[in-house]
Amino acid sequence: MAGPSASDVRAALSISNAGPSSSTHPTNAAAIIRKPSLRKPEGMPRELYQLIGPSAPTLTAQFAKPQLKQKPNLGSSAATVDGGVPGRVKWEWRTFTNSARKDGLKLGHWVKAGADPNADYQYAKYNVPLNTFVYSAEEYNRFLQDKEWTKEETDYLFELVREYDGRFYVVGDRYDYPGGSTRSLEDLKDRYYSVCRKLVRNKPWGGDEASKAQLLSSYSFDKEREVTRRRYVASLESRTPQQIAEEEALYVELKRLEQTERRFKKDRDELLRTLLGIESGLPDINPSDEDGLNAAGNLSISVNGVGGLSIDTKRRKKNGGDVDTPMSATSASASAIHISQPPKKQQTAKSIAYDLVNCIVRTDVPTNAGSNKSAHTPAYLRSFKLPTPKAAIAPKIAQLMAELQISHTRLVMPTRANSAKLEELLEAASQLIEQKKLLDKADMDIRMAKARLGNGTSESGEGSAGGGEGKATPGAMEVDEDAEGEHDEHADPNGRGQSVVSARSARGRKPARRSMSISSVDTAGAGNKKRKR
Amino acid sequence: MAERIRVRGVTIHRPLIYGNNAVVLTPEEKSLLPVAAKDHTHRWTVAVRSAASANDSDIVGGADDLNYFIKRVSFKLHETYQNPTRNVDKPPFEVSETGWGEFEVQIRITFVPESGEKVIVLYHHLKLHPWTLQVAAEEAVNPAPEISAKSGPVHSWQYDEIVFHDPFQSFLNILTAHPPTPLPKNKRKPVPFHISHPASLEASKGGTPEFTMSMEKEEGERLEAAKKQVHAEQEKLKGLLAEKEAELQQLHKQIAEQS
Repeated sequence: MAGPSASDVRAALSISNAGPSSSTHPTNAAAIIRKPSLRKPEGMPRELYQLIGPSAPTLTAQFAKPQLKQKPNLGSSAATVDGGVPGRVKWEWRTFTNSARKDGLKLGHWVKAGADPNADYQYAKYNVPLNTFVYSAEEYNRFLQDKEWTKEETDYLFELVREYDGRFYVVGDRYDYPGGSTRSLEDLKDRYYSVCRKLVRNKPWGGDEASKAQLLSSYSFDKEREVTRRRYVASLESRTPQQIAEEEALYVELKRLEQTERRFKKDRDELLRTLLGIESGLPDINPSDEDGLNAAGNLSISVNGVGGLSIDTKRRKKNGGDVDTPMSATSASASAIHISQPPKKQQTAKSIAYDLVNCIVRTDVPTNAGSNKSAHTPAYLRSFKLPTPKAAIAPKIAQLMAELQISHTRLVMPTRANSAKLEELLEAASQLIEQKKLLDKADMDIRMAKARLGNGTSESGEGSAGGGEGKATPGAMEVDEDAEGEHDEHADPNGRGQSVVSARSARGRKPARRSMSISSVDTAGAGNKKRKR
Repeated sequence: MAERIRVRGVTIHRPLIYGNNAVVLTPEEKSLLPVAAKDHTHRWTVAVRSAASANDSDIVGGADDLNYFIKRVSFKLHETYQNPTRNVDKPPFEVSETGWGEFEVQIRITFVPESGEKVIVLYHHLKLHPWTLQVAAEEAVNPAPEISAKSGPVHSWQYDEIVFHDPFQSFLNILTAHPPTPLPKNKRKPVPFHISHPASLEASKGGTPEFTMSMEKEEGERLEAAKKQVHAEQEKLKGLLAEKEAELQQLHKQIAEQS
């Protein structure tokens, strides 16, 4: 570092290299000579290059300047067209007249030298004159009478509109009819457009009706609505920040409420569906479809379910007057799809008969079917897909089925209709078992409550396992403390002894609870037996 | 290959029955048995057939040939039989043998290649001895052959349906070209006995049974009746539960008052 900077200083001060180290001179000169051959890469600081030399090519990449696009050469082509120097555009100061002006004012502007001097001013086309209506006095008297407006004032209004090119804000600003009442912007617009409408309607019309109607509609103006709209906008704009914040908070709250309500409704429907099944009247199953088909003819047609989920279990079987009840698609998603499905296209009697003979069941192809090969359900025997109860309650279901003298694992005729019926039966049975569980729980609760009650009234504190409840009533606690105080008077009244007792009571509670649950199991068994008879 | 398109949303099934019949060998027949099978007592036929019975036929089912969609049925007998796996490639899909004991027959049904379906496997318990209501007892005591012979051939048949989902167009064409013979509406012959419906024992006696639509209907009614019973029970429990809840409420109130 020192070497190069010293030579730099010397170079900067134009000092010859005759320093104390004259011996270095030749080497320095050699370095200078050598330099051109080893060019410093673009962008790298000179000092750094002198330190590391050309040995670190990777570093150079970092210092390379980003390659930017070349600046576009604007206008060069235009210049070449009229023979000018390529890359240069020639501009001229010219005077021009604006054809949109009537006063023939001459102004100057810069234009490209090659531009056509006779061309119209390029912005003149944007001056679109307003298509204003004129009316004669006779027309005014016949069509345009208005008790609010005199002809003179109307004339004045039209004059202003014409003058300011229909810019109603300007018109409204400038409107000052001597001796006239003050007019709001809406009044002016209303009068102007109503006159226009009347003129369009009553004057002879050259074009077709459609264009007339279009023109009329372009002149339509509803004053009331416009006033209300302006009031709304004004009130919206004049809200204070607090009001805005409150509004937002309310909106969020509303959204939240809606969401909870939706969830509630979903849960409720789910529950109803589970409890009541087909009687719930929920769109899960479409009873009207069924009724219609039932009435249409004594053919049993399954109301085809949607979604691959429930297809397996549905099937139709010719069976006299029996109508196959389609099984409840238990999954909520399936039902949701069902709702959104457009009504099924009516099958003709002929195709029904054909399907009947050929044992065909048509179902709507689920639209969300993914890749098809893997989703294919292989052929199976109907009896293999008989519904099975949940494993947890399977033994109880089996017991119940035995009582009912139904073999739910095998059917004599495992047809589509019958497996559907079996599924309904099993569903009802599992509901029954759930109910039974609830009942047992209620029984247990009652027993516990009674025990607590008995404990509280007798103040005996023992026998009924300390009330059995974790949250013992204050009364029970007092009893405990008293008893403890009597039992060991030597112990610290508030400290250890109490904790021991409470620990003991806690230990005492546990077995009590267990035995209670056992007894409830027993009763459950007894209940089942009772039902058997 | 245009035919190899699956027809979506179509489920088509074919009813069939599988099972066996068995008769007790007469002494003359017994004497004709080879030495290796001297202790055989029954002659039986295990079969896979269409569900409907042909008119004036003394066998159960078999009104239609099933070879339009079944390529092969292979019956895997007890391994004590010679060549226990018997492949049957054309109707009737059945195997007749003599034997002395009941066992599980594995039945593998291979479909025609057009179906593009895999083999399905089902099992049938070969039934030799007459049906009785005491299932457990019957297992233990094999009735004497003389008694069995008196009650006539034993039948054990299971109705089932082979369900095809989204069949190939070509296969669908094959199937629809062979609509199955519908089951007769009403009972004309004895009802095939099924262990799931013990009450049908009496109705199953007296000749070759036949599957009918009334059987399906009857079972449907039984299921419906059971469901009604369950529903009634549910109602009862509902009432009971409401009572208990009320009682519990009452108790809780009392507890609250006490404390």
